[in-house]
Amino acid sequence: MSIGADRPAPGHGPGTPDPAPLVAMRGITKTFGSVTAVAGADFDLRSGEIHALLGENGAGKTTLMNLLYGLEQPDGGTILIDGDPVSFRSAHDAIEAGIGMVHQHFQLVPRLSVAENVILGAGEGRRVRLPDLAEVAAAIEDLGQRYGLGVSATSLVGDLSVGEQQRVEILRALYRGARILILDEPTATLSPVEIDHLIEQLRAMAGTGTAIVMITHHLDEVMTAADRITVLRSGANVATVPAAATSPLELARLMVGREVTMLSEVGEAGEAGSRTGPASAGPAVLTLEDLSSKSAAGTGGEHPRDFFNLSLEVRASEIVTIAGVEGNGQAELEAVLCGLSRPASGKIRLGSTDVTGATPRQLLDAGVGMIPADRYRRGLIRGLSVAENLVYDRIDKAPYGRRLWIDPKAVAARGADLVSRFSIAVRTPSTSASTLSGGNAQKVVLARALGTDLQLLIAAQPTRGLDVGAIEFVWNQISEQRDSGVAVLLITTDLNEVTALSDRCFVIYRGQLVETPLDREAIGLAMGGAGSRAERAPAR
Amino acid sequence: MTATIEATDSPGGPDPDSAAPVAGWSARLSSLGLSAAAVVAAFVLGGVLLALAGANPFQAYADMLSGTFGSRFNISLVLVETAPLLLIGLGLAVAFRARVWNIGAEGQLLMGALAGGAFALYVPIGTRAVLIPAACVVGALAGGAWGWVVGFLRARWSVNEVISSLLLNYVALRILEYTIRKPLRDPVGFQPVSETLPDAARLPDIPGLKTHIGLLIGLGLIPVVAYVMRRTPFGFHTRMMGLNRDATEAAGVRTGRLITAVMVVSGAFAGLAGILQVMGPESRLTGNISPGFGFTAIIVALVARTRPIGVLLAAVLIGALTLGGDVIQRTQQVPRVLTIVIQALFVLLILVADKVGRRSR
Repeated sequence: MSIGADRPAPGHGPGTPDPAPLVAMRGITKTFGSVTAVAGADFDLRSGEIHALLGENGAGKTTLMNLLYGLEQPDGGTILIDGDPVSFRSAHDAIEAGIGMVHQHFQLVPRLSVAENVILGAGEGRRVRLPDLAEVAAAIEDLGQRYGLGVSATSLVGDLSVGEQQRVEILRALYRGARILILDEPTATLSPVEIDHLIEQLRAMAGTGTAIVMITHHLDEVMTAADRITVLRSGANVATVPAAATSPLELARLMVGREVTMLSEVGEAGEAGSRTGPASAGPAVLTLEDLSSKSAAGTGGEHPRDFFNLSLEVRASEIVTIAGVEGNGQAELEAVLCGLSRPASGKIRLGSTDVTGATPRQLLDAGVGMIPADRYRRGLIRGLSVAENLVYDRIDKAPYGRRLWIDPKAVAARGADLVSRFSIAVRTPSTSASTLSGGNAQKVVLARALGTDLQLLIAAQPTRGLDVGAIEFVWNQISEQRDSGVAVLLITTDLNEVTALSDRCFVIYRGQLVETPLDREAIGLAMGGAGSRAERAPAR
Repeated sequence: MTATIEATDSPGGPDPDSAAPVAGWSARLSSLGLSAAAVVAAFVLGGVLLALAGANPFQAYADMLSGTFGSRFNISLVLVETAPLLLIGLGLAVAFRARVWNIGAEGQLLMGALAGGAFALYVPIGTRAVLIPAACVVGALAGGAWGWVVGFLRARWSVNEVISSLLLNYVALRILEYTIRKPLRDPVGFQPVSETLPDAARLPDIPGLKTHIGLLIGLGLIPVVAYVMRRTPFGFHTRMMGLNRDATEAAGVRTGRLITAVMVVSGAFAGLAGILQVMGPESRLTGNISPGFGFTAIIVALVARTRPIGVLLAAVLIGALTLGGDVIQRTQQVPRVLTIVIQALFVLLILVADKVGRRSR
């Protein structure tokens, strides 16, 4: 694509007044229960531009676009298309109005062909007969050639790579006549090379007048792809800036900024955690040597879930953080460290013992506490009582049980003890765990992990979705562990958590670790991958 | 079957079943009331069908009742039907609690019958008190081994247990048919059946009834299963795995082993039921030892919501319906299929009531 390098000006520089935009969203609000997802956001989209929508997790980017695509209906505000107010009851209405959306998780049927997937759901209810597949295929090939979205229309979607599947999603939107294309985290599951291709193709589309919204939190991609950038924070737009007039540094500030308010919050929490600092850290408890995850080894290609050649040391009495945007390999790392998956290569050492490929049982017995990122999937069994949840990982060990029997009294006593020690708000320990609130559910997970003597604690997203009080409680518990000599590995996406707890910090980006100073801006930049792709380029 | 497959779709979802220990009595009572309503509704619908078929529904139900519970002899016959359903149902209740979908109880029953039967035929033990328990052990081991294959395939290569256990039913049936046609065939008979078992291998009847003592074994195992599920680490881990397999694995339970163990246990129950059929009502190995007990027991376990005591009630109910169907077929000249339809109505409505009950809670 010749247009790739020199960005075609959309026809209006930063100085010119905004002409009537293709899409104008004004004062949009949307709440879910007690949570305000979008709080009075404004958003403009011009034809022929690539407009990046940037923000942290939970900033309201996807919700705002779901509102535009008719998947949700706004509680307040107006949406104008070509200056006319519209109100979409469903995505169907939005598609009629020329809007297409490509979700982060593709909505394709693997066992159907590309052409079949493209017509799937198009004009539903109006046709009795399916359109002629050969004609559709020809139209798809034609569209593909025009925008460099080459995909064979007859191949099965299940046989395509992730990047190709994404092209099918884009082609489907274009086939339905979209002139407004919304892409939710389009690069999240792509390799760097595929990302470069995607950006080229998007440019080609923008060149023919299509308006493109790209939801992302990767700063470097924004800088190379976007014409304009709107930054959202807590459901409101902070700024809209032309890409040419900004820098990754400024964007990071806008995105996570809140210097004044946030730093003070963090300061308090930091005090509550009574940090002792890395100076008192002891001998290495957890050592990762050149650790890589499974799918990386076999294919030689990169998969976004994977991590590569991680080396790391966590010493006693320190909290080492692995920060990073979700989908950069930390979920797989958590699984490997907890003994649920085997690494492809490399070594894991606990003290001087090699525990590579150890089972969860062996790790638990060795004094490794685990707080899983998905607490309802891996940390709690809602059909059991609170007391049972508190001991279920040692139910066959004294004093709770032997090989052939369980002592319910010991279980109940342990439950009562932990419920009071961790102030879990529950009527009695025999109450079903399904009644617990998020914060109390996490307290159960914590109590089970921390209720015994540990040498290592692996805490993944320990405060995700919790309210302020519960967050503080969890932070205190984790720093108490550190102060009592436990080595803590914290895996988190939350910058506040990084700065509140870490003694040392690494950022994981596309499966690789970079040690960063304990500085919000530096961490934020590294989480967005700024610079790291350039550094890695020669390696490939 | 429908419930089975639907349940597989949401393996991580909470299972209200096991929340029962913390649920109040009122919830239990209302679910009991719903089940009763379902039974009544099934009788009414069944009556309509009977009327449509030209029978007098009231007379038919009266015949059914007297034909099943009307006399000590008839009760004995119901209990003969109940015994295998109870035993297999108990084993399946354990497996289903773990969300291990063993559809292969029929095959496990047949393998238990074959191995136990061959043992009773050819191992010269003359003492009843030795031979019967020994044959039971052999039968249970054989059924357990047939179940182990399924568990092993599942744990080792993630082979879907529904498919493997189902297919192994047919393998087991062919093996049984082969052995009674060739190596174990009664040399003097015309039918492809084995010789009659020696007297020492014939199960005595329960005093006062015409039901073999296999039923007592089943009854005795109810509290055992209940205890194991509630009060042993094996039972606890089984319940855990059924509620949330990921969390169970993260808690250090080796789920592959546990799945295999659960398959062996439920296979052993079916195998035991099989050898008891051979030493009880059948008295020899034949190609139709089981009229599908292994499949009917799936329904028993599901209707019982995997509770051991519920398995007993469901086994009696289904046993009585089977026998009652035979009775009205004779007295009212209604086709056999109709009685099967009525049975199916019962099961369906009870399952619906169960779902409705859960939703309203």
